[in-house]
Amino acid sequence: MMPLLKYEIRKTWSTKLMVLGIVAVEELAFLCSLYLMGQNVDNWLMALSTSLLVMTTIGGILFIGISSVVTLHRDMNTKQGYMLYMTPRNSYQILGAKMMENGLSIVLAGAFFFALGTLDITLLFGRMGELGKLWEFVTDILRQINSDLELSAEMMMYLVANALASWLATVSVAYLADIISSALLNGKKFNGILTFVLFILLTALLSWLQRSLVPAGSPFTTLALIDTAVALAYSVVMYVLSALVMEKYLSV
Amino acid sequence: MHEGDEALNFDPMIPIWAQVADTIQKQIVSGSIHPGDKLPGGRDLALTYSINPNTAARIYQELERKGICITRRGMGTYVTEDGEKIAQLRREMAENAVRSFLEEMSGLGLDWHDAVKMIEEEEDNLAEK
Amino acid sequence: MLKSKDLTKRFGSLVAVDGVTLEMEPGHVYAMLGPNGSGKTTWMKIAAGLMKPTSGTMTFMNEPVGVSSRAQVAYMSTEPYFYAWMTVKDVGQYYADFFRDFSMEKFESNLKTMELEKTMKTKSLSSGMAAKLKIAVTMARDARVYMLDEPFNGIDLLARDEIRACILREATDDKLLILSSHLVEEVEAIADWSVFIRKGKLVEMRDNEEMRQTDHVSVADRYREIYGHMEVQEA
Repeated sequence: MMPLLKYEIRKTWSTKLMVLGIVAVEELAFLCSLYLMGQNVDNWLMALSTSLLVMTTIGGILFIGISSVVTLHRDMNTKQGYMLYMTPRNSYQILGAKMMENGLSIVLAGAFFFALGTLDITLLFGRMGELGKLWEFVTDILRQINSDLELSAEMMMYLVANALASWLATVSVAYLADIISSALLNGKKFNGILTFVLFILLTALLSWLQRSLVPAGSPFTTLALIDTAVALAYSVVMYVLSALVMEKYLSV
Repeated sequence: MHEGDEALNFDPMIPIWAQVADTIQKQIVSGSIHPGDKLPGGRDLALTYSINPNTAARIYQELERKGICITRRGMGTYVTEDGEKIAQLRREMAENAVRSFLEEMSGLGLDWHDAVKMIEEEEDNLAEK
Repeated sequence: MLKSKDLTKRFGSLVAVDGVTLEMEPGHVYAMLGPNGSGKTTWMKIAAGLMKPTSGTMTFMNEPVGVSSRAQVAYMSTEPYFYAWMTVKDVGQYYADFFRDFSMEKFESNLKTMELEKTMKTKSLSSGMAAKLKIAVTMARDARVYMLDEPFNGIDLLARDEIRACILREATDDKLLILSSHLVEEVEAIADWSVFIRKGKLVEMRDNEEMRQTDHVSVADRYREIYGHMEVQEA
């Protein structure tokens, strides 16, 4: 398993370095804008770098998942697949390494962005001084809208975990759809459309399960926890189905 | 010897073992391989001539059958030290050469008298040079 | 050792391999012959466990080919298949990571005779060098079966002897070697059996020396007999 994981990491390494590089530049811009804050200049850099950082956070995590699906697709549909499928490893191991690499990447990227975001906000408030009260103002409003909602770091963590798990589940649905497309529908008419429809249906099924498994009126934390658990379980089911189809039907 | 250097331009119609066996026999008769010399192992022979190892094994089987080589268990294959055997082989090969030469000549409409005459003329030519 | 029974592979309406039944034994070098597109590659890919047959079976030591046979079967495809980011050294490391029968020393010695440097990028190798690297790394395994698909493709005339030597060194009594080629002359002397495949069907399997001795035909002659009129037909 270890060698498989090692090469999955190696295959997607450049994608991640690219995201990291972009983040580094944006963070540098943000730090510059922080420095400029007190200087009474038009601080357009702050607006630009903050929005770019937010976009990269979301985009980066999406990108990591998508590039993992692209790698799988290449491994099944180009000559480089021989490299993988001539090894004495079964589909459960091959796909397991891919899932593990992707899961780890998403979690690590999530943790990284969460930490960076926390750091940047702390720095910003430290710099703002009086304006730091703005945060309390925002949370006050939210509390008035819904008393359950406490915009705390804990709650943010629930939200992040939930988003990451859902994304992981979506990627594993994409795995299954792509494997079915490459192994069973290859060369058939409407392959692309059927695959897309399958992807949508399986994603919809996940949302339906998440919604129907949460008891009505549950507090936010319960909701987030069940949602996350369902997404993770769904990923495992997708993984087993994917490996089954791959082992039995895939020809590279 | 460099591997593959000996790769012959085989006549693909004649069994390869026969062609390589012929080459080895010529080397023995001409003295470039001496009586009692150790011959390369079957695998080395295969590499030297770029031929299949089973074909190489067949070559030694044939040479052994004719009494030209002896395989000593665990030691390898050696050229016979029996001078009589080698002389006999030389005679056989020479006879074959003469026979095919005469066949060729008769194909050109010349009988063996003409052939002998031409050989003598050729000998004189060579001597003059 | 390696056996295919009624093996058929269809791609849509195309029948690439059509009911091929044959058995190959260790201690021999088999040349799979036939023009491009006659089904040699597909047969090999099924034997390598890369492709699943449409019907019929492919077994190695009486077990269907699959994950466990891949540990003992070394397959070399005709197309380059290394990851684009790899150097020659990375390729060796990859094989070392996945195949217990891989020998780094043998790989290094193969690289030396083929004049390849470990620092070379696979992406920038010429087609001849890439072909040599494939052989160097595949033959550095101590497998039970070696399947080389068109091993002489793209290889310079001068380097062909090296390749032949590299292949022959592994041709021992306990190993089975299969070479596919559409260039009969390249494999005529190193193979002892010929497997003629035509339009996905097995035509015949012949002992090369026996064929030369009893029929007085070369492998190339037989090849022309089998495929010659086909090309006329199709022209």
